[in-house]
Amino acid sequence: MHIDRLEKYWIVIVAAVLGAFFASLLAAMLVFGLRLPSLPAEFVNPLALSETRFASPGLRDMGDGNYELTLTSLMWRFNTGSSERDADGNDIIRVPRGSRVTFFVTSADVTHGLMVERHNLNIQVIPGHVGRGTIVFNEPGEYKILCHEYCGAGHHRMHATIIVE
Amino acid sequence: MQAVQPAAQSSTPVLMFPALSMLRSERSLIGVHILVSLVALSLGLLMGPFQTFRRAPAVTEALGGQAVAMPIFTYYYQALTLHGVLNALVFTTFFIVGFSYFITQRSLQRPMWSLRAAWVAFVLMLVGLLLAAYAIITNQANVLYTFYAPMVAHWTFYLGLTLVIVGTWVAFLNIVMTYLGWRKDHPGQAVPLAVFATLCNYVMWFTATLGVATQVLTMMLPLSLGIIRTTDPQVTRILFWFFGHPLVYFWLIPAYISWYTMLPKQIGGRLFSDQMARVAFLMLMIFSVPVGVHHLFVDPGVSEFAKISHSLLTFVVAVPSFLTAFNLAATLERAGHQRGANALSWIWKQPWGNPVVAAQFCGMLLFVVGGITGVMNASFSLNLALHNTTWVVGHFHMTLAGAVTLTYIGVLYWLLPMMRGRKLFMPKLALAQVFLWFSGMIVFGAGMGRAGIEGAIRRTDMGGAGAYISDLWAPWLNLSAIGGALLLVSSILLYVVLVGTWFASKGQAEVEAPIDTTGPASSRPEWFERWGVWTAVIVISNVIMWGPVLIQAIDVVNGFFVPGNPGPAGPGF
Repeated sequence: MHIDRLEKYWIVIVAAVLGAFFASLLAAMLVFGLRLPSLPAEFVNPLALSETRFASPGLRDMGDGNYELTLTSLMWRFNTGSSERDADGNDIIRVPRGSRVTFFVTSADVTHGLMVERHNLNIQVIPGHVGRGTIVFNEPGEYKILCHEYCGAGHHRMHATIIVE
Repeated sequence: MQAVQPAAQSSTPVLMFPALSMLRSERSLIGVHILVSLVALSLGLLMGPFQTFRRAPAVTEALGGQAVAMPIFTYYYQALTLHGVLNALVFTTFFIVGFSYFITQRSLQRPMWSLRAAWVAFVLMLVGLLLAAYAIITNQANVLYTFYAPMVAHWTFYLGLTLVIVGTWVAFLNIVMTYLGWRKDHPGQAVPLAVFATLCNYVMWFTATLGVATQVLTMMLPLSLGIIRTTDPQVTRILFWFFGHPLVYFWLIPAYISWYTMLPKQIGGRLFSDQMARVAFLMLMIFSVPVGVHHLFVDPGVSEFAKISHSLLTFVVAVPSFLTAFNLAATLERAGHQRGANALSWIWKQPWGNPVVAAQFCGMLLFVVGGITGVMNASFSLNLALHNTTWVVGHFHMTLAGAVTLTYIGVLYWLLPMMRGRKLFMPKLALAQVFLWFSGMIVFGAGMGRAGIEGAIRRTDMGGAGAYISDLWAPWLNLSAIGGALLLVSSILLYVVLVGTWFASKGQAEVEAPIDTTGPASSRPEWFERWGVWTAVIVISNVIMWGPVLIQAIDVVNGFFVPGNPGPAGPGF
């Protein structure tokens, strides 16, 4: 099969560039500790959440600035266990600056999404599965937790607020 | 049948196609496919710009705090479902099936294996479309075109989609049988490139649709009928994205066929490398399926190993598009040099004034943006910041609404005149339509992309009560509305040209179909057409790449435990 000389150079360049991209992805994971919300699987029975850790959602202080936030997504709010609410009835959570928060999230009804504004936390919230991810809040301010998957008529008003103090 | 003559070397009839018009059987068959696709597109297009207006804070402010209402279908998520289903599934599928009949018959110079089967396929697809449309229009299928479980639409939505897919399978069979008939009569010859690519496209499509067919027939349809009560949403997502990524290549390959096999003729040149084009199509056929986990990078039920390996193959499936970039640039450069252009001026010394050519060039430019943003999406690290943001919407509007749709428009600008036997109506207006579309799409994409980087979420009624809009998103959402306005004007011009060509054009048609009827005089044509080998490669690669993903996602302890919720029936749901 005939391949033009210039096209051979082109193929080598393309392979090198894509190879470098992939190598940097592996480095992100192996060297810099990037994790995706993945297996090992943690299944929950979405019809019996009251028998799981999601029976009592909330923020738990694990010491040394580490926190665990257990929350459920449901049409159309995040139940974070917090008693503080904004004017629209959405949850507000407060954490100190520098907190390292691990999220545990599942859905009580349909497929939802979870992302935290201006932080690298992005989880597809699927009934039957526990999504997990950790982020550090270094900058004080207000950040929305947003549902990023269409989940019905009230999807656009589904959010909560994290206040970093 | 006046146009059929016995061929000298075989018993199969050879069709003598008129250069500037169509045979009656050809016109009616291809015409109905194009007609349905254009009717669907007209409604689907209308829903697009109004979403951008509704999401733009500046527009809402200008109207005194009241967000723009969607036209006809005032419920945002119903309009959004229509926009996705009509543009991405209906317009594309009907156009592609009709266009592939045209390519197959004209390139092979023979009739389809069975005209009756072609009409059966069309009726299946049309009935399917009407069933799905019934569910959507009556507000019983506001599930968007990805219909993630456990949200459930009316059963006619799923049955309709199934019938559309079964129709495409009948079309696939018809094209394969036509090819096999040609193959028997032409031993040792390579099949023309356009038909080779069409075959690759349908093999890939058939593979992919097995995923969504399994999902719909074993999970969604029984759920919507109340036969089963529970389902597994993670498994439905895996089956959907087994289908969902090849779907985008199913749209793209017909555009590639136009770029590779028709554009060279339209600019007065010759394709640089037929063989490398075939390599590209084979790679697309094989590698577009075992990459779908890149849509599931943040799904908790899929392992990191699967995500990494699908990310790697996603980079591999970018290679045929890089090959295409080289091959087409070389083709354009050579044609430009023949016209007396120098090292750089070949870029503008092209027939930019011809709307058929300009539409494809503009599509290619948008595809460069779409391709680069696509490689970025394939990186799971960046995906953490971008998944389900408006960035993704910006990306696939560069590919689907840019490269694919603009190229289809370019095709329509010669196909429709040929079908009608009349000249294109107001070619200058058609040219303006093309450039407006290009500008509108690039402005829209820039706005959506940048808003997504700032964290704006997709598929969200930002004009609705209680919606959150960050100050960081606002200027970019406003920019995307400017793009939307340009696209609305361009869409109107598109239909002025198309309807005008059919009803108001006066002169005789003068553009011939840019179709090759022979393959290259290559020494070993069979090498590319070893379909048995390719099928084995496809089966093995997908068992390896998808098998573990599916098995790991199934909850063997709890079983399929999630009940199907009733579909969101309107704003009150």
